[in-house]
Amino acid sequence: MGFRKDIMSKRKGDISRRKFLEGTGAVLAVTTVAPSLKPHLSAAGAAEVETTPAGVPTTSIRLVVNGAEHSAVVEDRWTLVEFLRDHLRLTGTKIGCDRGECGACTVLLDGKPVYSCSNLAVWADGRTVQTVEGLAHGDQLDPLQQAFIDHDGPQCGFCTSGQLMCAKGLLAHNPHPTLEEVKAGMTGNICRCSNYNHYTEAVLAASSQQTAAADRGAGRNVAANAQGSGSRRVTPVSTRSTGGAR
Amino acid sequence: MSRPAILTPRKTVGHATPRVDARERVTGKATYSGDVQLPGMLYGRILRSPHAHANIKRIDVSKAMALPGVNLVLTHENCSIVWGAGSVSGGRHYVDSIKKSTRQRRYVFNNPVRFYGDPVAAVAAVNRHVAEEALRLIEVEYEPLPFVLDQEEALKPESVKIWPEGNLALSVENTAEPEIYKRGNVEEGFRTSDFVFEDRYTTTYVHNAQMEPRVCVASWEGDKLTLYTPTQGTSNCRHDTARDLGLPDEKVRIVCQYMGGGFGNKNQNQDVDLITAMLAKQVGAPVKVELTRKEDFIGVHGRWPTTQYYKVGVTRDGELKALQLRGYSGMGPYRKNTGAIGGVELYQCANVESTVYAVYTNRAVSGNYRAPEFPQGFFGIESMMDDVANKMKMDPVEFVLKNMTRKLNDQTPYSNYTLEECVRRGAEAFDWKKRWHAPGADAGPIKRGVGMSFMALRSPLGQSSAVIRLDSNGRYTLFVGVTDIGAGAKTTMSMIAAEALDTALSNVDIVWGDTDRCPFSVGESGSRTTDMTGGAVIEAAADLKAQIAAKGMPKGSEALIASASPNPSSEGKVRKAFGAHFVEVEVDTELGRVRVLKYLAVHDSGRIINPLTAESQIKGAATQGIGMALHEDLLYDRGSGQPLTSGYYGARIMTHMDAPEIEVIFIESDDGYGPFGAKCIGEAGIVHAVAVVGNGIFNAIGHRIKDLPISRDKILGAMA
Repeated sequence: MGFRKDIMSKRKGDISRRKFLEGTGAVLAVTTVAPSLKPHLSAAGAAEVETTPAGVPTTSIRLVVNGAEHSAVVEDRWTLVEFLRDHLRLTGTKIGCDRGECGACTVLLDGKPVYSCSNLAVWADGRTVQTVEGLAHGDQLDPLQQAFIDHDGPQCGFCTSGQLMCAKGLLAHNPHPTLEEVKAGMTGNICRCSNYNHYTEAVLAASSQQTAAADRGAGRNVAANAQGSGSRRVTPVSTRSTGGAR
Repeated sequence: MSRPAILTPRKTVGHATPRVDARERVTGKATYSGDVQLPGMLYGRILRSPHAHANIKRIDVSKAMALPGVNLVLTHENCSIVWGAGSVSGGRHYVDSIKKSTRQRRYVFNNPVRFYGDPVAAVAAVNRHVAEEALRLIEVEYEPLPFVLDQEEALKPESVKIWPEGNLALSVENTAEPEIYKRGNVEEGFRTSDFVFEDRYTTTYVHNAQMEPRVCVASWEGDKLTLYTPTQGTSNCRHDTARDLGLPDEKVRIVCQYMGGGFGNKNQNQDVDLITAMLAKQVGAPVKVELTRKEDFIGVHGRWPTTQYYKVGVTRDGELKALQLRGYSGMGPYRKNTGAIGGVELYQCANVESTVYAVYTNRAVSGNYRAPEFPQGFFGIESMMDDVANKMKMDPVEFVLKNMTRKLNDQTPYSNYTLEECVRRGAEAFDWKKRWHAPGADAGPIKRGVGMSFMALRSPLGQSSAVIRLDSNGRYTLFVGVTDIGAGAKTTMSMIAAEALDTALSNVDIVWGDTDRCPFSVGESGSRTTDMTGGAVIEAAADLKAQIAAKGMPKGSEALIASASPNPSSEGKVRKAFGAHFVEVEVDTELGRVRVLKYLAVHDSGRIINPLTAESQIKGAATQGIGMALHEDLLYDRGSGQPLTSGYYGARIMTHMDAPEIEVIFIESDDGYGPFGAKCIGEAGIVHAVAVVGNGIFNAIGHRIKDLPISRDKILGAMA
């Protein structure tokens, strides 16, 4: 997946992809996390001891994750998924390949699906991230989650978070996709259990349910909508994005 | 043919049921091994051989050790664990004596290294970045040796010897002999045949490519080791790990709550489990080792590549008289499995001879991948037989009905037999007679064709265990040592328990995936869990019901506990699941592109416990088979012995866009064995899925592609 220029320009001058991959290392030091991050971490039940060697470039970032504001000092080489999983303890997002091939790590960045293994944490500065943990409202599952259950989408479940977030981004952009559009929109999310039939069925089912719910909310006639005369729900999509997952 | 018994409807079993843990799976709450973080945990990384075959002359770890944050470097010089699981001669898993007797031991760090990816060293450091940096600072001086990649070439006298004893894998008795099966007299059979056909088929190394790469977290408390590791069998993993580390079983605890697939890749323990355990022991802190996707592709294992020579004799009216196979399986340099080539047993024939050589090569190690010896073998024999039928101007379905197995090896009766019904029902539902046409008959560059293939897959009974506790609040807790690899074992076991206890599914809680909390279970490999552990659940339930009848329901702090470890048999009969697949493909002969237009999978896996998850299993397996047929491959550079396509893009794993709709028909039967008559299902869908696609392509283009995968270049080459 490509990175848009406006994102590239956000990088600090000295972080090239190459250097990021090579990594650096010198003397051990402990980085104190920003105060506003601490309550969240303790809520996750873990005493965080950061072990950033001295000389490793770090950056303070602020971002919104699943509606909660966070500020943190991150190593410039941390990927977004590494930050989410290891440091915010949001382990629902999985790493399948760590190289932009499989989509297991898909999250929404400013509303658009991206591979969080192929984004640096520092690039999320000032932006909004949604992960699988942010899909449900309390006990109320997102229609996509319920459809995934009903259609037995997840087998092993390891790609599921990515499939869900990709589908969420797809439906926000295109609330009434055809089967072909679902397949094309989600083809960057591999399922080796190969339950593709059930995943696409589930997304189509959630799509029709979502429309029905939206129409009920707007006081419209659901039956009329079923015949194709209902309104389309439009979800604004941020222009600041790294582009869809493949 | 025997008609399936009419099934008695059940209250829970047989009803499409969402997984009991579905909510955890869609909310990100399911805890996989890689999600485990322990206080003070270090990160491990593994350095792997960049050569296909080399002596290690010198390893210098001083610079790596000097890097701040690095705690330990292990190499063959300071760690010499023999890794016994499935890796020793003979491939007979779980047999401890073989580990002692084999002359071909696999260490967790080997010298010489025998494939690109063989572990050379492992580092434990304060975080994963420092560990990766340390790997780059380890200096290794290699003396590269000649290497061999092809299984047939490796047996030639001029080939480099990967082991001193030669490249033919040693048997359990340390003798170098192929696996031979014989019945009747093939020479006599060929002499009395009207036609004799010969051909050669090859299949490639296909990786399991399960979504979750291998990962392990090891933690020692005193002399007790806990491994959080994705394994398809906690009991086997515990025993293997204990044996390899010289510990009693009870000093090892294996925890695997959720796992991201395996398809055989995570059977038993893996070298990474032992490496992680040793790192953690020597640094005195918990350690997590995460394999990268590339490491998982080349460092764990995939399906063994094969070369298959068939010779088939038939009479004028299409009756099989003789069937001969000479096969070569490339095992990589260490033997993790039998290297068998399945499929010959599919046919009724008086004279059969099969000789299969399991051969060492300097490729990635081969091992279990969903129905280990079948998809590649069935591609060979089912392509061969389809070709014979076509050359005899017979409808392939008629040829199959005439010659397919009726008893195992023409001798042993099946516990019930529905293969013919699978084939006939499938042909009817698919409208085979109307769709089948002369090969390559379509005019124009876009050609359609249909194919058919069938299968019979072992579904044995065997020993497993279950414990059920009933508390005074009326809740049942089922303790089973299963891991939920993705097939839905937790749900299936809970449903079987609810049915057997005559209670609602919601009254059953399940405890699983932890050797300290659960009894032995057979392991989620070989499609055995439903048959074997399911049988144990029924017996434990029967015991519990008897206790309730005798003592009444428990009150207050009382609890009733029942356990069972049955080891049933099918009384001299062979249990098999049956199936037939039908496909219609469209081949663009100008682009070489194949599209699957229609795919029908007919299966008898006995009684279907949960139709919802059973369908998922068949669809997923068939889709994986289509990928193996059309494009999946781990290509090697012949000059350097390095793998070129280790990853999802490179190996061309199936995607949403590639996946066709799979239509599933279950023919349910009850043979009187197994839990409520259930048979195996997890592997059943992939066994003949590769072959059926190949047969469809032949029917479309009129040319037989004999080497997998049937990629665009081969189709274009055939059409040129």
